Amino acid sequence: MTSNNLCCCPEQMAMAAVPGQEWCEPYDLCTALKEGTVFPCLNLTFYKAPAGESHLKPASDSPDAGQREREAAMTRLMEVGFAINDLTLYLDTHPTCEKGLSLFRQLSEERLKLLADFAGNYYPLTQLSMVTGNTDQKEYGWTEGPMPWEGACI
Amino acid sequence: MFAYEKRLQYPVKIKNTNPDIAKLVISQYGGPDGELSASMRYLAQRYTMPVKKVGGLLTDIGTEELNHLEIICAIVYQLTRDLTEDQVKTAGFDAYYIDHTKALWPQAAAGVPFTALEFQSKGDALADLFEDLAAEQKARTVYDNLLRVIDDPDVRAPLKFLRAREVVHFQRFGEALEMTKETLNQKNFYWSNPEFDRQTTN
Repeated sequence: MTSNNLCCCPEQMAMAAVPGQEWCEPYDLCTALKEGTVFPCLNLTFYKAPAGESHLKPASDSPDAGQREREAAMTRLMEVGFAINDLTLYLDTHPTCEKGLSLFRQLSEERLKLLADFAGNYYPLTQLSMVTGNTDQKEYGWTEGPMPWEGACI
Repeated sequence: MFAYEKRLQYPVKIKNTNPDIAKLVISQYGGPDGELSASMRYLAQRYTMPVKKVGGLLTDIGTEELNHLEIICAIVYQLTRDLTEDQVKTAGFDAYYIDHTKALWPQAAAGVPFTALEFQSKGDALADLFEDLAAEQKARTVYDNLLRVIDDPDVRAPLKFLRAREVVHFQRFGEALEMTKETLNQKNFYWSNPEFDRQTTN
């Protein structure tokens, strides 16, 4: 792991060691969210719940086109948001990995746009997106939309 | 500081009421290896971590555990929100119902309330990181056990996601351990406590 400044201390008695992760080609973002990691090399599944056992719904089966659109926008936000979460932990221990940094920056830019679009079209998910997404909004807006635990918009 | 984003990290959309399952899943809210314990453990340990990057990692994982706590609570909430009076009497949820109705309260599957005694903040980098590594393994075991006994695909999907996160966090804590070892006395990692002793390397 010299390229990522991860140390490999010499093995010693009475001490455990975990090998540092090498960069591996990430899953597409949809698969990453389903599996719980963007890194195939870290997807060590349990035989009672193997990889590909995916129960994640398609964006929506709602008959209402508007609802389907809103759910697709939320799904993309979740996919991008999760990939950023996973990359954040990777970069915490691999701060100089160029591939990780470049993907992190690219996804963070997309996330800003997705949050602004969602606030403009539906309701704000963050307080900042209340101004980036809909600048002529007169109402407060933060209390709009279903609460996340209701399962109403996924 | 923490700021709220009004969505779950992973979607939870459960169709069928099932208090039996809710009683089991709630353990990952307030049980010994639950997400609340995990979050409080990492967010407590970070202040005195001698390696700055490890303190950062503890902050980020501790924050993610708050997302997970919210997912677990959403599962329990959706499994019980349409509970009828008959289901309360017959479905094994009666004891919980008497004290909490349908509200969320952090407890283990067997009813033991959440307690800080379930985790440690020891003030010794190696001791704390090994606690963290063990915590991720114990939480993974609970998710394995839940995935063995729960059939509802709406509940399995988020549980499977959460299980995968335990494995990733274990890897990151392993890398944090390596980063910490690098700063210690290379002939004897136990020579001093880097969270207490000023002189740590010889």
